[in-house]
Amino acid sequence: MKTVDAKGKLCPVPLIMTKKALAELGQDETLEILIDNETSMTNVCHFLKEYKMQVVTEKQGNIFRLLVKKSGNIPENAPVEDFCRINTPNLSDYVITVKRNRMGDGAEELGQILIKACINTIPDLDLKPKKVIFLNSGIFMCLKDSPVLESLKKLENLGIEILVCGTCLDYYNKKDQLAAGRISNMYDILNSMAEASKVVFA
Amino acid sequence: MRNKVLTFQSTHHVLKAEKILIEAGFKFDIIPTPKNISSDCGMSIRLDSESSDMSFLSDVLTYNNIIFQIYDYKI
Repeated sequence: MKTVDAKGKLCPVPLIMTKKALAELGQDETLEILIDNETSMTNVCHFLKEYKMQVVTEKQGNIFRLLVKKSGNIPENAPVEDFCRINTPNLSDYVITVKRNRMGDGAEELGQILIKACINTIPDLDLKPKKVIFLNSGIFMCLKDSPVLESLKKLENLGIEILVCGTCLDYYNKKDQLAAGRISNMYDILNSMAEASKVVFA
Repeated sequence: MRNKVLTFQSTHHVLKAEKILIEAGFKFDIIPTPKNISSDCGMSIRLDSESSDMSFLSDVLTYNNIIFQIYDYKI
């Protein structure tokens, strides 16, 4: 069995080493990864799961030992850096709720670029929300052809939960086109907003 | 990595550029103009200069009379 020894290495090095080793591995072969910090371990696990690899983690003293079965394939241009989540102390306790597919009242085309710019800015905020909720025509931001899909995936990789109104997906008949976030219901959505320190409506 | 930022003279130009670039098949994000580029609260386009054909981009925008500037993207 091949081993990647990423002890003492900080993100994104363990991710890069893992990606490289998996590329050299045959389908269904197993790889062992050794990591000595929890952040890197979480990031690597997240990365592997995104690309449908089976992972088993165990802790031996201060070392995390990951066993990975190459059950999927990682494209050569996979953005490892996006999985490099360096402890996010800035993940705050607030929630952003997107109520429609544009921002503010006024010209529709203006509202549409405002909401795109807004969502594309969230991954770069110092103070990031805990969750982002999409309601009514806001759900169009989470579909396959959404212009902000990459930013939403970045948010998910940062551990920010994305909730999408299931009733709304159903109403607009777009359930099969959901590409980011998880389908949620009014109970979950109201609970998330009630629990948050504050809710920002976009 | 979307590493370049295109800025424009007005929001109307951003909207026009967005339509043209989508039609031309470019992949990009609409972002607020980074503060280190301009203090206006304008909108910009962010894209990857390696996977995008920058000279084609320049040609289509110029052909449509859209004036723009390209900067490196830094947060």
